[in-house]
Amino acid sequence: MTEGTISSWKLKEGDTFAAGDVLMEIETDKAQMDVEAPDDGIIAKIMVKAGTKAVQVGSRIAVLAEPGDDLASLEIPPEEKKDTKSDSGASATKQQVEEKSSKKDTRSPREGGRPSVVKSSAKSTPDTARTRKAYTPSPSVAHLIREHGIAEGDVSAISATGPKGRLLKGDVLAYLGRINKTYPKELEGRIHKLGKLDLSNIKIAPPKKDAGKATKQAAEKKPIVYEEKELKLEVSFGEVLKVQNKLQAALGVHLPLSSFINKATTKANHSLPPVASASDIFDELLNLPSTTFSSRPAKFQPKITASSPPPQQSPAADADILDILTGAAPATTPAIKRTPGIAATDPNVISLTVKGAKEEERGRLFLEKVKGYLEKDPGGLVL
Amino acid sequence: MLKSFVPRHSARSLLRPLNAKAGCGGYGSPSTFLLVQRRGLASEAEEHDVVVIGGGPGGYVAAIKAAQEGLKTACVEKRGALGGTCLNVGCIPSKSLLNNSHIYHQILHDVKNLGDVKLNLTQMMKAKEQSVSGLTKGIEFLFKKNGVDYVKGTGTITGEHEIKVNPLEGGESKTLRAKNIIIATGSEATPFPGLEIDEKRIITSTGAIALTEVPKKMVVIGGGIIGLEMGSVWSRLGSEVTVVEYLGAIGGPGMDAEMAKTMQRILQKQGMKFKLNTKVMGGDVGSDNIKINVESAKDGKSEAIDADVVLVAIGRRPYTSGLGLENVGIEVDERGRIVIDQEYRTKIPHIRVIGDVTFGAMLAHKAEEEGIAAVEYIKKGYGHVNYGAIPSVMYTHPEAAWVGQTEQEVKATGKEYKIGSFPFSANSRAKTNLDTEGMVKFITDKETDRILGIHIIGPNAGEMIAEGVLAMEYGASSEDIGRTSHAHPTLSEAFKEAAMAAFSKPIHA
Ligand SMILES: Cc1cc2nc3c(=O)[nH]c(=O)nc-3n(C[C@H](O)[C@H](O)[C@H](O)COP(=O)(O)OP(=O)(O)OC[C@H]3O[C@@H](n4cnc5c(N)ncnc54)[C@H](O)[C@@H]3O)c2cc1C
Repeated sequence: MTEGTISSWKLKEGDTFAAGDVLMEIETDKAQMDVEAPDDGIIAKIMVKAGTKAVQVGSRIAVLAEPGDDLASLEIPPEEKKDTKSDSGASATKQQVEEKSSKKDTRSPREGGRPSVVKSSAKSTPDTARTRKAYTPSPSVAHLIREHGIAEGDVSAISATGPKGRLLKGDVLAYLGRINKTYPKELEGRIHKLGKLDLSNIKIAPPKKDAGKATKQAAEKKPIVYEEKELKLEVSFGEVLKVQNKLQAALGVHLPLSSFINKATTKANHSLPPVASASDIFDELLNLPSTTFSSRPAKFQPKITASSPPPQQSPAADADILDILTGAAPATTPAIKRTPGIAATDPNVISLTVKGAKEEERGRLFLEKVKGYLEKDPGGLVL
Repeated sequence: MLKSFVPRHSARSLLRPLNAKAGCGGYGSPSTFLLVQRRGLASEAEEHDVVVIGGGPGGYVAAIKAAQEGLKTACVEKRGALGGTCLNVGCIPSKSLLNNSHIYHQILHDVKNLGDVKLNLTQMMKAKEQSVSGLTKGIEFLFKKNGVDYVKGTGTITGEHEIKVNPLEGGESKTLRAKNIIIATGSEATPFPGLEIDEKRIITSTGAIALTEVPKKMVVIGGGIIGLEMGSVWSRLGSEVTVVEYLGAIGGPGMDAEMAKTMQRILQKQGMKFKLNTKVMGGDVGSDNIKINVESAKDGKSEAIDADVVLVAIGRRPYTSGLGLENVGIEVDERGRIVIDQEYRTKIPHIRVIGDVTFGAMLAHKAEEEGIAAVEYIKKGYGHVNYGAIPSVMYTHPEAAWVGQTEQEVKATGKEYKIGSFPFSANSRAKTNLDTEGMVKFITDKETDRILGIHIIGPNAGEMIAEGVLAMEYGASSEDIGRTSHAHPTLSEAFKEAAMAAFSKPIHA
């Protein structure tokens, strides 16, 4: 096989893309496939338009530039002629392709069947069958191949997501249909990101005039004040009421609404993602304006109000079912601020006051969780 | 921009191999050519292909690598010894003390009923100094062997290609000219506001490796790796050590929460005390006693802790003073880290930055990797460090070591994962060594079995983690490790069994 068809370009000239983005779709006599970007970049020039048939393997179809390149000032180097002239059969073409990939800047075709994309950079991600073939399969991959009797030719057609084009267990599982086909690639995307130095959100320090003065200023810097914001969410106590009644009937205990709310609050607070990242702590230590909190965030304490006039509340002892059941000392759960007017039946509103964007995000998550616990499984809260 | 090795104006193909390009300068001025011209003029400002500022693990490795690549290289270091923080006052001296204090502690406990063990602290410090000087001299030898010019003095960048060096021995300053500059000036301990460091009673790690007697009571502010290591040393030698940590867990934010808890329990058994979720408000330094005032972050309760020595170990900050960044307009971020791109370039592209003074974990081996990569960028246009597979080790006993993501981090991604763990108490070698604390824990992706993180507490965890790093570097699944033979009886079998636990079942548990 020495040629293929470019069915479509997914991007146009000047478009930027990230590693893993689909650049185009090609068709060979064997299959139709997506060609993905081996690395981040820009489409500098498309040389072969979509729909072109019989594109020779090894011929140039596009030129890619590095992210941030100024396309206007780039000169596209002329193509080496021998690349396209080759018609001495598949083996010669393959050889040529290999030669290129060894020079580290093209994407060599899978099974010799894919036209190559010329890339104007040194970076290579040869995640293809051709490069891969040189690797001994890892123990798990070898095992799966034998276990499922995958033919050698088919093995080289499995798309490989591992580092430097290695075939991983997940790739074979995806090929076998045991897991979602696109999942290994997705995972690789995440892992690839972790492999890079995190240089996002760099905050440049203001230019220093006098080093001594600057540190002093930093030390004296007042904590920044965030604007307060109120978050609200409607919640229904219907399910809670049912559980209350059941408990009353079964155990003869009346569990006040506040017990449910307290439990939901505690549980929701616990389930929030970890608070301080390394950088938060550093910010705090160095007395920097943090993007998050000026100090350890307090546990959220929601306020509950009825959205319609409250019915009569049954006065009851503030008993905790867990304590009753386990005989433990009363829990030290802080009582919620009970605003007169919590209705067991009507939609009520839980609200929170938050400061700053990050706290707002956490606050929203918190309210969602409280609502979920109270509406879906209030029984689980107290038993 | 297109890489400089792509000749924009020429008709050569982009497919040219990278290494075809000689030297390290831009294509306008082949460095080799300049080099030949300049050699004869001794009094002129010497032109180097690369001048490295700072001789720590980042700097000295970059310098040796550059010289090996055929670049004319100089390394400026102001300390009077090579090896930086790591060799002089960090990794190496601390490990010497950790090793000897561990032996002392073990003998003390083993021979309880047999005889007397006495601590010779002076001798212990001497052993440390010997290790340090042996290693730093070793680097000096490597410089000679590879032809790196070692320039002793403080380097200040005075122009885009110019470094002024104030010699250590005094005398006239001299100027180095460089095509490329690599900044590797490292970090220093972050001081605690309100506590003045004298390195005798209020100390950083630098004082903690050089105390002349064992303090009766020691307060360690900060329960990160350095605090726990130095706390361990003095606790083993007989000090009553209290660690005050602002977070809810020890080990720093990079440590797996479950491992941090386990480690805390183990260290507590060894006699260290912990006050977590506790904020240090300040201290009163009296003539013979120090009071550290702390406040619980949970309930706001405050108390005072007595101490003879206070170790401030709240972290380290980039060190750029006297470097002259302002002379060329190189920026730092709010925490003082020099701003770079993925290829370690500042906004002046031939000035690159590596190690503690810039972004990423403050670890010696991370600095070293960057040193190599920076030189490769200069020489070949391409270098690589995989930040997803850099191990961390805490050299307490048992050691803690990890690579990849923690369980809390994986959990936060919302993706499903699996845990496979295996305790050393079920490992034959650990049993014969009577050293069975700790475990190995694998975190894998549930769908693909790909390893996301490995966490170890146990004897020699720091050595064992190397296998995990290699596995992650290759994108391995836990099954890959589970199907790889590990010698019997070794501790590494626990590693294999934990992997087996992740994808199927361990045999010995
Ligand atoms: C107590 C302790 C224990 C540690 N243990 C470990 C460990 O076990 N494992 C680990 O990986 N890491 C450990 N570290 C961290 C490790 O020491 C650092 O990550 C590492 O030293 C960073 O290397 P670097 O080359 O970036 O900087 P440094 O090692 O800090 O070296 C920078 C050098 O630059 C010199 N310098 C600065 N400015 C100038 C100038 N203008 N002119 C000339 N010279 C200059 C300094 O004198 C210094 O020698 C430890 C640190 C400490 C404090």
